[in-house]
Amino acid sequence: MRRILAGPWLSLLLLLILAGVATPLWGHAVLMQSKPAANSTVTGPDLPIWLRFNVRVDGKRSRLTLVAHDGSTLAVPAPRQTAPDMLESQVTGVKPGAYKLQWRVLASDGHMSSGEVEFTVK
Amino acid sequence: MLKLVNIFGYLAVLLSAAILVAQSLLLGGLIFRYWIARPHPEVAADALEHVQALALRWFRAAAISLAIVQALYLYVNSAVLMASADIPFREVIGANFFIAASVMLCAALLTAIVAGNKDKYAAWYLCALVLIVLTASVMTDHAASRVEGRVPLIILTALHEVATGFWIGGLPFLLLGLYVNRERATQWYLTRRFSQVAFAGVIVLVLSGVCMSVAYVGSAHALLGTSYGLMLLAKIAMLAALLALGGINFLMLRKHGPEQVIPRLRRLVEAEFGVGLTVVLSAAAMTSQPPAVDLVNDTVQPSHIWMRYRPQWPRLKSPAASELSTRHPGQIISDQDPTRRTVAYTSEGMPVSLRVLNDMRWSEYNHHWLGLIVLGMGILAVLARTGRARWAEYWPLLMIGIAVFIFLRGDPECWPLGPKSFWATWADPEIFQHRAAALLCVAFAIFELRVRRGPSQDGLLPLIFPVICALGAALLLTHSHGTTNVREETLAELSHTPMAVLGVMAGWSRWLELRLPSQDRGVPSWIWPVCFVLIGAGLLNYREF
Repeated sequence: MRRILAGPWLSLLLLLILAGVATPLWGHAVLMQSKPAANSTVTGPDLPIWLRFNVRVDGKRSRLTLVAHDGSTLAVPAPRQTAPDMLESQVTGVKPGAYKLQWRVLASDGHMSSGEVEFTVK
Repeated sequence: MLKLVNIFGYLAVLLSAAILVAQSLLLGGLIFRYWIARPHPEVAADALEHVQALALRWFRAAAISLAIVQALYLYVNSAVLMASADIPFREVIGANFFIAASVMLCAALLTAIVAGNKDKYAAWYLCALVLIVLTASVMTDHAASRVEGRVPLIILTALHEVATGFWIGGLPFLLLGLYVNRERATQWYLTRRFSQVAFAGVIVLVLSGVCMSVAYVGSAHALLGTSYGLMLLAKIAMLAALLALGGINFLMLRKHGPEQVIPRLRRLVEAEFGVGLTVVLSAAAMTSQPPAVDLVNDTVQPSHIWMRYRPQWPRLKSPAASELSTRHPGQIISDQDPTRRTVAYTSEGMPVSLRVLNDMRWSEYNHHWLGLIVLGMGILAVLARTGRARWAEYWPLLMIGIAVFIFLRGDPECWPLGPKSFWATWADPEIFQHRAAALLCVAFAIFELRVRRGPSQDGLLPLIFPVICALGAALLLTHSHGTTNVREETLAELSHTPMAVLGVMAGWSRWLELRLPSQDRGVPSWIWPVCFVLIGAGLLNYREF
């Protein structure tokens, strides 16, 4: 939160502190739709997963991870693509509880984006 | 590791900006060497040959620069992917961006080689190679990654980039032609031919830009409600300045003769190129953000903007350093501590504790005091400009106030406010940077004062201030605010982006004031002090919650 910004003309200051405070501007792929949907409740133990993004994504270089409420992770098989902007996979043997589906995808312009979808399995 | 990824990520944005600049220079150099500087019976052949040879040398340098920055970009972006997503290098090689960047790298290297040979078909080979560079560039742009309307957007992007290259990328070559050649006839010939190309370039640039804006932004509301939209507005503001400069050149060429036009035009073209480079930099920053049309849930609503930026009295009372969230060595704050209770909510509805709220108040206090200092600098600069208050020429001394402010409040955990000792803090790179910046402010103040109070404003040294000013503002345009919250990021940019644009205007108007013939300095000498006043006012209304 704390930001010291003296103004544009003090660019030397900015140049020096940029390395310290700069964060990348990218975050190109945006999740438009997902199954399970965010904050939804779904039925287990088999869990079909699909994610639709705003841009074409590189399925081969994208990663999905399922994280349980206790922090343990479940392996999600490598996603397959039925459309250029979609990733699909399926997890089996999912126990009831709260989960986070973490996604990390590479857009075709080279930008890596990540995010997560929270849901509950009953 | 995260810090390294962040730094590399920002570096990748800067490198992609450098790639766009080098690519524009390549396009501009090509059109200048083989079209604008074509032989003509009315122009001395040897004078033109000299310009052609130098233009080809610069074109070659642009190709080599493109190859170097592209190689760096490949390394940096691959490193980011490997570190952030655990992707092995053998998998990175097959990625679309890697293939496109490799193609561009090879094409740039071949361009440098072909430009060095005197082959009679060199022009055609170079055209083909630059076309490959352009194609590789477009294939990593927003257009190529779209699902719908991909082909029209690819065509529009290609046209936009070609027009940018012919106009902005051609400007340094025009300057080259005007500076190396002292013959008015040759200068006039080059200027008039360039003007025709630039005019066509502007039309294509604006038309393709409007079409792409409609496709990528989608609504008027998204212009103010997303980072992409704000960046586009900044780009439009700078384009308006560019068009004003270009328009002056265009009209001068048609109304006056070479003796009146050329001395002024050279200086105006310098500023035009500077602002043009900033526009290219902001375009690179835009390509690394999701288009506004895709952010359906995270746009900033007018109510958010009003809540955040409605006019309020500046915060001139600060919380104590001990009330901030910064942990001091040995300090233990229990979960039951009342300062950890939720006392407010962000625009996203996220809970905020009293300590985090104090962080925001601390930051606002800093911004507001800096705003007062900058406003003071601007008002004094305006007074000095009127010529009725000689004492106001000492306004650069206020920068020492900024230095003291950074030193005292930049790092509240350090001496003199925090428990960390003065010498211990020098081991922290971030704190070291803040302290070094404070020292630079002092040096800058003394330096600028010497320029203003010295006997002459000629030479290159006075130009350092406007260049640094414009460069800093350009970097501010690409600077992120360290928050993962899309809406908060946009709200922060709502205050910083206008200040960055004003900084660009201030830098280049001061440049023109120094560079134009003395009788033409009137308008630019007013612009930058007014920009300072506006930046100060903007800082005074800065808010974090």
